[in-house]
Amino acid sequence: MNWLQRRVRPEQIRELSLLLLIILAVTIFGSLIPYYYTSRTFDRIAESVTIIGIVGIGQTLVVLTRNIDLSVGSIVGCTAYFIGALIAGNNGINPLAAILLAIAMGAVMGAINGVLVAWARVPSIIVTLGTLAIYRGMLVDLSGARTVTSDSLPGWLLNLARVNLLTIGMVRIGALFTIALSMVVIFQIGTTYLRAGRCIYAIGSNPDAALLIGLPFRRLVFLVFVISGALSGLAGFVMLARFGNITVEAGRGLELEVVAAVVVGGVNIFGGSGSVVGATLGAVMLGILEQSLLRLQISEFWRDALLGLLILLAVASDAVILQRLRTLWGRAELKVAPGMPPPVPETEKGVTNP
Amino acid sequence: MIALGRLKSWEGLLLAILVVVVAMNVMRSPYYLGIDNVVNLFQLSIEKIIVALTMTMIIVSGEIDLSVASIMGLAAVLLGCLFKAGIPMPAAILIALLSGLAAGLFNGFWVAQAGLPSLAVTLAGLIGYRGLARVFIQDHSIGGFPAWFDTIGQQRTVGPLTISIMIFFILFVIVAVTLHGSGLGRLVYAIGNNTQAARYAGVRVKLIKLCLFGASGLVAALAGILYGARLGSVRGDIATGFELDIITMVLLGGVSIFGGSGNIIGVGLSILVILNLRNGMGLANITGDTQTSVVGALLILSVLVPNLMHTLKTKWKERKT
Amino acid sequence: MSKYLLVTAALAIGMASGGLAGDVTPGKGVDMVLLPKFLGIKVFDQAHQGALEAEKELENPKPLKYLGPTPQNSVAGQIEIVTNATTQGVGAIMISNNSGDQIVPAAKAAQAKGIKVVTWDSPIPSAEGEDVFVAQVDFTEIGKVMADMALSIMGANGGKFAILSASPDAANQNAWIASMKEALKDPKYAKLQLVDIVYGDDQQEKSYNQANALVDKHPDIKLIMAPTSVGIVAAAKAMQDGGLGDKVKISGLGLPSEMLAYTKSGIAPEFALWSFTDLGYLAYYTAYALATGAIKAEEGATFKAGRMGEYKITKDPTRAKGLRILMGPFTVYNKDNIEAAAAK
Repeated sequence: MNWLQRRVRPEQIRELSLLLLIILAVTIFGSLIPYYYTSRTFDRIAESVTIIGIVGIGQTLVVLTRNIDLSVGSIVGCTAYFIGALIAGNNGINPLAAILLAIAMGAVMGAINGVLVAWARVPSIIVTLGTLAIYRGMLVDLSGARTVTSDSLPGWLLNLARVNLLTIGMVRIGALFTIALSMVVIFQIGTTYLRAGRCIYAIGSNPDAALLIGLPFRRLVFLVFVISGALSGLAGFVMLARFGNITVEAGRGLELEVVAAVVVGGVNIFGGSGSVVGATLGAVMLGILEQSLLRLQISEFWRDALLGLLILLAVASDAVILQRLRTLWGRAELKVAPGMPPPVPETEKGVTNP
Repeated sequence: MIALGRLKSWEGLLLAILVVVVAMNVMRSPYYLGIDNVVNLFQLSIEKIIVALTMTMIIVSGEIDLSVASIMGLAAVLLGCLFKAGIPMPAAILIALLSGLAAGLFNGFWVAQAGLPSLAVTLAGLIGYRGLARVFIQDHSIGGFPAWFDTIGQQRTVGPLTISIMIFFILFVIVAVTLHGSGLGRLVYAIGNNTQAARYAGVRVKLIKLCLFGASGLVAALAGILYGARLGSVRGDIATGFELDIITMVLLGGVSIFGGSGNIIGVGLSILVILNLRNGMGLANITGDTQTSVVGALLILSVLVPNLMHTLKTKWKERKT
Repeated sequence: MSKYLLVTAALAIGMASGGLAGDVTPGKGVDMVLLPKFLGIKVFDQAHQGALEAEKELENPKPLKYLGPTPQNSVAGQIEIVTNATTQGVGAIMISNNSGDQIVPAAKAAQAKGIKVVTWDSPIPSAEGEDVFVAQVDFTEIGKVMADMALSIMGANGGKFAILSASPDAANQNAWIASMKEALKDPKYAKLQLVDIVYGDDQQEKSYNQANALVDKHPDIKLIMAPTSVGIVAAAKAMQDGGLGDKVKISGLGLPSEMLAYTKSGIAPEFALWSFTDLGYLAYYTAYALATGAIKAEEGATFKAGRMGEYKITKDPTRAKGLRILMGPFTVYNKDNIEAAAAK
């Protein structure tokens, strides 16, 4: 037990158990559904995980700082549409330039969120609820409610969805999926080993302490919103490549799925704990559930009802179980006898940053 | 009693904005102040403003309820499905109302008893209750309600006013009396100001919060049923996105998102501002999402401006000393 | 001499009472509102262009207002726009109805104020609150055309197919699906088996996902019939992305310009459509004629709609109540004629 306590943190146990749950779910569904272990199943799950996974990375960073970003759906829609319209108008545009533009556009929109949350001190739930509406309205207005149609887009963009980089057995790893995976890896390493990454965890854990020891609080909060916007921009580009036709409805409701994936993936809504990998596992779990329910001929509408329940269970279990685990860990580290009050202070039930 | 000095600040500002908006609208359309249009003005958003009243109490107590629009949808859908299954309308209405109450109490349990943040719980509710509604009704719409039911939402029964409008005014008075004239109201403010202190002072915080969420769910269900009456039919996605307007109405009315302050007169004024704004935009042929983005901007401003004013005031004081 | 007088008098009386009653006089100022199901669909943009063309010919000094809700809020949005237009006291509202019978109260209120309510593309099912419906094609014929296309694509051995529709409330799609089911009762189509109907709400992502879900649930279907210009494109892309273009074909109603690549590659060998531009043009003429009193909304009334010729109001055989003006033919597109059509 001591060895375990020294090597593994409670949050990692949470993620490991999620991984086990995923394996369990796949096994159960595999036995219930014919033709489950086919490349088609993997493709469909990978499709949904790609977009939600990319946005989920940014959302993880935001939630780690005890905030939330509900405007990601509108940012994805805006970037998908406007970059699509841009490419439709200039078919010869450099692919890399298009991707960078999408990221930049998303970053700017995220920066607006960041300024309002970090410096104007408006709670993130308010800011992002407002920008969700504003960005969507902007999209409808500026686009004249037209559609970007796939016949106006160049071949390289439309074929991107079908490019296979690697084929392991029957599993096809596409270009878009690879983009998503690489983002996950980059950000997981970044948050674990970069100083800024550790500071983000610190801010979420205990904002007051973070301020007191002089961490660049405001700049970091601003940064996470910019990153969230930038990644949403990238996801918008992926959406454009996948669907081709983009209407002003693109991305509507995406934010709810992303928050669900992040919370189910073990990122604590109070901030300060969870990881990018966990959020991605959450996205995988949700993708599996969605695809499998569809195959089982269970009404697709159960998905949302289950999603709500899952979020609730995830938050509730995190609040109760993780708290107990942390107390246990804390006691073991300081070798406090059971029955004694733990020296670790209870975390506050905060909703906003101070 | 609201001190005259307070009137100079937030409520006064709202009144000024209201006058400006109404003036602009009157200039644009001569029919604006006619009784027809005024009733229309209320009717087009009547369900939202009804829910805004209970939302006020929730936000004053320091919590938030994002799931109200989904509870509206769920209640409306249940009503439709029960009606279609042959259940007599009055019974169906009762069951739909109870479902809203149950949903609200469910929210309240997790927030008050289990101590989870209301943001997360009601976000889960927003997704979950909507999903539940879709499970019941799938992609269809159910209509063909008995004529007397449609009358409630659509017809002018008491003079030029519809029953929905009457319900709004009655509820307004109830909430006003509760918040400002009763002991319960004072407790709600106390909880919003400092939950810990209230708990130590012996206030039954858990029970009150549970009741507030229950009331929020019940009123949301009522609003959903009225919405179904007004449209003459229900679908799985009705009232989607309503929470934005509802929360804006409350926050614009001077209620602090952190809880503990604000009053119902301010909310009443902000409701009028938003209704006139939406109606004016509609008459100017600005539709749907553009209108919503204006409301979104208002939402941000309603918290941003007080923040800025507060910072400026403190900086001004610092300069003086 | 007196004979000629008699004939001339008879002719004059005849023209005054019946024939010339349908003469549409240009130049009158009428506030017109064009209200599609929602904004953002190319076919409705085309209808808008057609209406503008009619407006120019009719020299209507008051500009056409093209207003629409967003797909998420289509029903409530349409009701709101009709209500607002009623307050503003416009002359005529032309609506492609996506709200089923829910729009009846608002439409009736508009009529009560003297506003003409003309539906196009998709009518009000109960015909209450509606003056006349401008139908692009005969709805029963569409069913037969779709059945024919299905037979030609799946071949004599038939097979399973599914329908991907728009909104479950859309009066036009529902009527077309109903008429296709009727047509399928003919023994000629005995080997064609309809296994499922799903709804994509005229939205790209939803239609894409529904198309994929269809193939997941029924792995042996050979055709997806999508009588919606958004659904057909989404389904085609879904099949293409999934590499299923050989196994599952796509057909239905679509725009040649949007379907060009898919028809050439063989995923969508056949599909049909009519001219939305013409539909908008005709709807405008009809609404203008009604609003200026040139014709009344009753059976037998005729008028000349500009470049499209004479039209007569008849009873609508596909609904219990209601009048309609039948626009006319549609075209079946395939490899041979699609390039020319797409270039237009």
